[in-house]
Amino acid sequence: MFGTLTGCSVVLAVASLIVSEIIMNSKKKHYPEGAKIKKPAPVVILLAAAGVFALPLLVTIAYKLIKLVTGDKDTFVSTMKLLAQGFGFSFGIFIFTIIFSLPLGLIVAAGKMSKIKTIAAFFKAYVSILRGTPLMLQLLLVYFGPYYLFGITTGNIQIGPFNYRFIASIIGFSLNYAAYFAEIFRGGIQSMPKGQYEAAQVLGFSKSQTYFKIILPQVVKRVLPSVGNEVITLVKDTSLAQVLAVSEMFTQASALASAQVSVMPFIVAGLFYYVMNFIIELLLGLIEKSMNYYS
Amino acid sequence: MNILEMHDIHKSYNDLEVLKGIDLTVAKGEVVAVIGPSGGGKSTLLRCATILERIDSGKIVIGGDVLCDTKDEKIHYCDKKMMGEIKSKFGLVFQNFNLFPHFSVRRNITEALIHVHKKTKLEADIICDELLLKMDLVEKADAYPCNLSGGQQQRVSIARALATSPDILFFDEPTSALDPELTKGVLTVIKDLALEEMTMVIVTHEMSFARDVADRIVFMDGGVIVEEGPAYELVTNPKQERTKAFLAGY
Ligand SMILES: Nc1ncnc2c1ncn2[C@@H]1O[C@H](COP(=O)(O)OP(=O)(O)O)[C@@H](O)[C@H]1O
Ligand SMILES: [Mg+2]
Repeated sequence: MFGTLTGCSVVLAVASLIVSEIIMNSKKKHYPEGAKIKKPAPVVILLAAAGVFALPLLVTIAYKLIKLVTGDKDTFVSTMKLLAQGFGFSFGIFIFTIIFSLPLGLIVAAGKMSKIKTIAAFFKAYVSILRGTPLMLQLLLVYFGPYYLFGITTGNIQIGPFNYRFIASIIGFSLNYAAYFAEIFRGGIQSMPKGQYEAAQVLGFSKSQTYFKIILPQVVKRVLPSVGNEVITLVKDTSLAQVLAVSEMFTQASALASAQVSVMPFIVAGLFYYVMNFIIELLLGLIEKSMNYYS
Repeated sequence: MNILEMHDIHKSYNDLEVLKGIDLTVAKGEVVAVIGPSGGGKSTLLRCATILERIDSGKIVIGGDVLCDTKDEKIHYCDKKMMGEIKSKFGLVFQNFNLFPHFSVRRNITEALIHVHKKTKLEADIICDELLLKMDLVEKADAYPCNLSGGQQQRVSIARALATSPDILFFDEPTSALDPELTKGVLTVIKDLALEEMTMVIVTHEMSFARDVADRIVFMDGGVIVEEGPAYELVTNPKQERTKAFLAGY
């Protein structure tokens, strides 16, 4: 029953998109650039219909959620508590990964563009391998590698409140994301017009002045949208730390879900991820806006 | 006194010889216009004089300092310190301005003064204000390049090149990227500089401007200087067939 309703709703929504594209495209030709075009009537009707079909589904979900919360308050509170703790770990992985992978990415990008062939080849291979193999596998390798490769036991490593599981996940994520960031940075740096370097050179700026005063600030603006994309992906990717049994949010949610025989923990975890990314989107928007003073 | 001396300059890109033994001397206060068909090596000549390109053989002396010289068929460039000194003796104005888009007009002009020439912010601002007045851009000090017309941008880039009070200024087609109605302001600024006896080498396609403002015109084609002479004479009475053919197009 719900399957049919959802199906209808999705089909109608997609149809409305397609119709809208077709109509808008044919209309655009007759309008001046940038003019606001009203949504045509058929699209509005299709969208409304999609909404009507989806309504029973939404109401049911909302009802079930409310019942979950009010029905057994204790379970809900303890679930929230555990998930919030898990979120702390997820957030920790996220923040540390950002702190380490952004500068590392810049180094890798510089390495890949190096004039010294062996250095360039090394970093090329680095990027190729880290982008070309599963992140989950890389995490496992960082975690188990020290023991299986070098016989180093990692079980009793502890830095402050962080055990090796947590540290290994941060190392793994940082190495992996550095590869992606490196490619973004390299693209940004190479998109800079030659004239900027030449003007700086003629004016007598040193190489490092040119890099840090002229090139990098402009590259930041150019790469921000792509970096933002990766940052948002990272928030969700932290759930992969589950394979190292780090007690981050997704690990917690899985455990709770199977203990309670309920999807509620997953839904709440999803909300956590979404709210976090919503905030990140806002921040990215603000940063982008703050750099809009030039183009 | 000569501000610029270039002797027997040779420069190739890969197998393509672009400069085939150029001799060019510019005296203090002299304005030299370089004209010629596209691909003739005019930009390359300026780029060699401004150290954006390294020559293969020949000798370049700027403001009395030897930038490079050829001994035993090998080119030798001066050391980094001397190069820094030589760089402060010339300015270059690009065809497409190459302003720093993330800097305000003021910062475009003062950045090198402060961070290369170690002037204080106050000293740099005073120099900047003077130049903006001269370029008729006083109210644009805090604007960003993207909000200026092409003509205004080019005047900012001239101010930027002038800020460090160079002995010689090079221009590579300073008005070629501008709409016709915007070239006038830029040409007027250059004309004013000529009246102040600024030493300049100007690559240009503005023939009447070259004739009126330059002391001397150099006609380049195919990597050599085909003909040179006093500006008015060369334009009105060229000796070489190639020069005649080129000028007939204007
Ligand atoms: N970086 C470069 N690499 C290879 N060839 C170049 C380069 N720059 C210029 N050239 C070639 O050198 C010749 C002279 O170019 P240029 O100095 O720009 O002439 P002009 O400024 O008189 O039009 C042209 O044939 C051009 O294609
Ligand atoms: Mg040219």
